[in-house]
Amino acid sequence: MINNPSHPKKGNLKSKDCKFTKAGFEYIDYKQTDILERFINDQGKILPRRVTGTSAKHQRQLSAAVKRARFLALIPYVTENLR
Amino acid sequence: MKKDFYEMTYILNPVLEEEKFSEIVSYVNKLIEDNNGEIVEVDEWGVKKLAYDIDKKSTGYYVNLYFNAPPEAIEVIERNMRIHDDIMRYLTLKYDSKMLRHYELKTKGELPVFFEEEEGEEKTEDDD
Repeated sequence: MINNPSHPKKGNLKSKDCKFTKAGFEYIDYKQTDILERFINDQGKILPRRVTGTSAKHQRQLSAAVKRARFLALIPYVTENLR
Repeated sequence: MKKDFYEMTYILNPVLEEEKFSEIVSYVNKLIEDNNGEIVEVDEWGVKKLAYDIDKKSTGYYVNLYFNAPPEAIEVIERNMRIHDDIMRYLTLKYDSKMLRHYELKTKGELPVFFEEEEGEEKTEDDD
């Protein structure tokens, strides 16, 4: 933590607002892959809440949506480099 | 008869002629109608690249549809779709009230807009 310049305790705190709550989402659609892609890393893993600031409710919906999209090959299960 | 609202997306084998696609789409629609369902909306996305290969194919013809049907019908529909050789994948979702509201907004084109103040890809933006 001491050596990490981007640690949150060093003033790199990003907004912890849930972006879905802010936009007023009630249901996260697996078809909106452009949104889902912002919440997965370049290996295709779902980013944790502590990183994205998503609310618990929306994180659960998000994970369901990502898994549906993966099943339909809209986004990958695993990949070396997504972007 | 009690009916629920469903959404289904399926992927067809891309190695087919154009008319075969519409043939299968009408086959599926008929399958739903024969089981007391009513089609609400059919949206053909066309041939899209898959994120990973399915049955050694890297593209697929996507069809997305919405319909009302009694719960017992789903089992029959899915069984028939599983047997069909050219349907590579399908996903059926039953809509609850939240999803229904989402669908209404979508048909009206009033979906909440997801805006973003510049987003980094690093995962170092912890906030706790």
